[in-house]
Amino acid sequence: MRHIAWNWFVASSLLLGALALEAETRPRYGGTLHVTMRAALTSLDPADGSQPDSFARRSVTALLFDTLVSVDESGHVKPALAESWQLARGNQRRQFRLRHGIRFHDGTPLTGEAAASSLRAANPSWVVISEGDSVIIECDSPDPAPLAELALSRNAIVKRDADNKLIGTGAFHVVDWQPGKKLSLAAEEEHWSGRPFLEGIEIEMGRSFRDQMTALELGKAELVEVAPEQTHRVSQAGHSLTSSAPTELLALLFTREASSPEGKLLREALGLSVERGSIRNVLLQGAGQPAASLLPTWISGYGFVFKAEADLPRARQLRDQVRTIPAWTIGYDGSDPLARLLAERVALNAKDAGLSLQPSASASSDVRLVRIPLAASDPWITLQELAAQSGLPAMKSKSGPTEDLYAAEQAELATGRLIPLFHLPASYTSSSGLRNWALRIDGSWDVANAWLESAKP
Amino acid sequence: MTFRRKLLAVFALTVFLSVAGVALLVQLVIRNAFEKTENQRTAALVAQFQREFDRRGDDVARRVEGIAVSEPVSRMATALSGTSADSAEYFDLARLMADNRQLDFLEFLDSRGTIISSAQWPAKFGYPDTTFEISASDDKGHFLKMEELQDSTALGLFAVRSIRVGEHPVYVIGGRRLDRNFLMALDLPADMRALLYQNRGDHFSADQLLDPASTGNAPDATHPADKFAPLVDAVRQYNQEITGIVPWSSDQADEEVFHAIPLRGVGKDHPLLGILLIGNSRRSYVELKRSIRNSALLVGGGGIVLAILLSSWASARVTRPIVQLARAAQDVAGGNWNASVEVEGHDEVGQLAESFNRMTTELLAQKERLVQTERVAAWRELARRLAHELKNPLFPLQLTVENLMRARSQSPEMFDEIFSESSRTLLAEISNLKAIIGRFSEFSKMPQPQLQRVQVNEVVSAVARLFQAQLQAPGREPIACRLELGEHVEPIAADPELLHRALSNLVLNAMDAMPKGGILALRTRRDDGKVVVEVADTGSGLTPEECERIFTPYYTSKQHGTGLGLAIVQSVISDHGGRISVHSEPGKGTTFVIELPRNLEALEAIGASKNAEVTEGNLSR
Repeated sequence: MRHIAWNWFVASSLLLGALALEAETRPRYGGTLHVTMRAALTSLDPADGSQPDSFARRSVTALLFDTLVSVDESGHVKPALAESWQLARGNQRRQFRLRHGIRFHDGTPLTGEAAASSLRAANPSWVVISEGDSVIIECDSPDPAPLAELALSRNAIVKRDADNKLIGTGAFHVVDWQPGKKLSLAAEEEHWSGRPFLEGIEIEMGRSFRDQMTALELGKAELVEVAPEQTHRVSQAGHSLTSSAPTELLALLFTREASSPEGKLLREALGLSVERGSIRNVLLQGAGQPAASLLPTWISGYGFVFKAEADLPRARQLRDQVRTIPAWTIGYDGSDPLARLLAERVALNAKDAGLSLQPSASASSDVRLVRIPLAASDPWITLQELAAQSGLPAMKSKSGPTEDLYAAEQAELATGRLIPLFHLPASYTSSSGLRNWALRIDGSWDVANAWLESAKP
Repeated sequence: MTFRRKLLAVFALTVFLSVAGVALLVQLVIRNAFEKTENQRTAALVAQFQREFDRRGDDVARRVEGIAVSEPVSRMATALSGTSADSAEYFDLARLMADNRQLDFLEFLDSRGTIISSAQWPAKFGYPDTTFEISASDDKGHFLKMEELQDSTALGLFAVRSIRVGEHPVYVIGGRRLDRNFLMALDLPADMRALLYQNRGDHFSADQLLDPASTGNAPDATHPADKFAPLVDAVRQYNQEITGIVPWSSDQADEEVFHAIPLRGVGKDHPLLGILLIGNSRRSYVELKRSIRNSALLVGGGGIVLAILLSSWASARVTRPIVQLARAAQDVAGGNWNASVEVEGHDEVGQLAESFNRMTTELLAQKERLVQTERVAAWRELARRLAHELKNPLFPLQLTVENLMRARSQSPEMFDEIFSESSRTLLAEISNLKAIIGRFSEFSKMPQPQLQRVQVNEVVSAVARLFQAQLQAPGREPIACRLELGEHVEPIAADPELLHRALSNLVLNAMDAMPKGGILALRTRRDDGKVVVEVADTGSGLTPEECERIFTPYYTSKQHGTGLGLAIVQSVISDHGGRISVHSEPGKGTTFVIELPRNLEALEAIGASKNAEVTEGNLSR
């Protein structure tokens, strides 16, 4: 009898333990997620070209607005606002059927015309028409861009009211917006993909990486960014680190075209003089991938073909072919300590090759150290967006086989405007109380299904 | 200049030179003392700087030592001693440690001198430290080094320590920048300052001069850095300590004395890395010098004034008897032989005055005797002449009377005829006697000159015209008359008739002296405010004895002269306040020289008295 009672006690304990464990891992509704970011967004408009693209902007845009289609972790296009689409005339005519019952945050229904109007505003060169609940995009070019282009943030569907206020269909709507400082969001109860677990999100902007880490350690933030050079240290400190694939290009961007063949030789010499390996080991603390190509290998598949190792003899040889060596200035973001170190190191390497490069935090410079987030959806779109952001010549083709993509990338590199240095990942760390958040393929964070352990059920 | 003034000047000059000499001497002594003090102060400051330098060096060495033995560095050294050492994770350690230990420069180097981590130039990891061998050789003390930075170089005070874990040591090289803060931390006296020149490039550059007083990069207009160029260049050239004066303006008080001390680094050649400039304002010295000079001038000026007063009193006291003697001598020279001086004391001046008085007394007595003698001689001469003049007519008178008496007694028939003839003779001789007596009477009655404005040239010309006919008269050898009249002869106050008479007498005399003809020259000229008239002939001339006595009344060298002509001339000239002299040589002619004063004041006085008389007359009427 006593044995039976003991068995019952053990079985009951195991059952209660299992139930308690299940209760702990079960998503909970409620709670406000605190996020910090270094970028100081001044506009929430996805189509605002005056603001630089960034992972932070992509993340915020994805919270407020939806696109017709989205790209999953594998790079496949999947439905979003559009539940289906039809391609006709060799992809020159694309008709998207919108989901039924989707409403903007102000309660107005999403119509074909509203979606078409939003896409026309973001892409003035497109021919976009509406037809009932459908949106039709027509293209005269026999070589239209891949469908994934519609998944880019700038193509998010936005409605502008009489006050030019932006209204989206995203999982969260704006409660308080202090441009460049703070953004408060609240969950949208009637979102077409279901109500998010989080009650709200508060995003603090313009915070340095150190401040973000401090906020995390003090419990004032649950999700913070991590600088590439800090990933190793953060990981060693026991924080959970989440990094994307290398989706950001760190490169040297010349402000002007090379005016002569000799200028191109010097730019090539500069690219060959940079010790990407030692910079990665020391300054980036092992983060990122040395790059001599515009697209990372995981996107293009051939990135390894471009040799990223420094070749100082060759650099000197090229430099010796030029009579007059100009004194270049290399500009960098003065608020980014890593950028200053990188610029100084590049200048030091360039000096070894006989080139003159003077670091400067001023806005005007001959060459600038830039960080360009990659679209990271389709290689053609990624290259196209990269060229557009860098001021490189527009690509002749927008799709095609890998050989054509390689040729297109080579053509862009041949201009000498852009010297790739590294492909960097987007890295974040979160508190243990934040569960089920994810990184998208483009480096932005996704909290649509995230929940907070500390939230009261 | 009078004797008194000379004496005064000598006294004043003596006092002035004495005061100036004393002031100069005092100034020299003070300047030497000041410069000596200045040198001592500068030496003290240099020593203070050296102590401060050493103290800072020791401080840097302690900090570097502290870093070398710290746990993070020890851990790094341990980690890097392994075979699979990766220095990448320590690249930021130098910056963190430098911040903690308050060092401006900090580098960790591996055994080959490759930079593991650099605080001052983080991007330089993996590069060799060019000064590694030099730095690593000094593992105990501190040293100066010119540190290369990203876009410049900086002078710093460094120390190096090594950590040996296993076979390969790790070097810690740390330092502090020698900059404005370092200079400002020096404890300097109020009027001293220290600047630092960082020796870069081949030529002086104002940008390399660190002046704690300057604000930012704005150039100091009142103290341009270029003024240091000669001093810095001299130190660079001679590579030794040099002292020089830097003038900031034309005012000497703004000058500063700078002691330039070369700061050398370690290594084989001990390169010149910097120059410490320790400045000391000369304002206090210059103001002290000016104060001394002003005091000297004040004292000297006062001394001179006092000297002048005292000298004036002393010289007046000393020179008064001499002045009296001079005045008495002037009186004597002017004819006042009664002049005498007061005898004060028995010194040389007193004896001189006494001798002067005796001399004037003796001269007066001799003059009396001479006058008496001359008066006797004159009377004798007058008597002789008078006897001679009277004897000549008396003798015919006697003969005529005797002839009458003889005719009455011996030839009464012829008495009437003889009486008549003798009466005519008697009357003639009596007339002759009257004439003689008249001439004497006329001489004694020489009239006083009636002064009026007279052009001497006109008077001389009139005389020449008067005698022109007689000079060329037939029956005698012709005499040529030359008129040489001065152009600028001014009018004088004179009696034209008397002047005419005097000149006529001289012309007559000349004519008498040239019986065989000759040349008569009448000249006039102006000489020192006087009018000079010369009457010269080319006659037989006079002997010196005749020249001496020729103006004596009744003296004549002629057969029938009365001896009154030249006496009258002298009397006329003397009455005009003039002077007549004669120059003659036998056989070469004679020249009479008349000097006449202008004497126009007397003419004005006469005119005024006449006007007064006229006024009185009018009033009385």
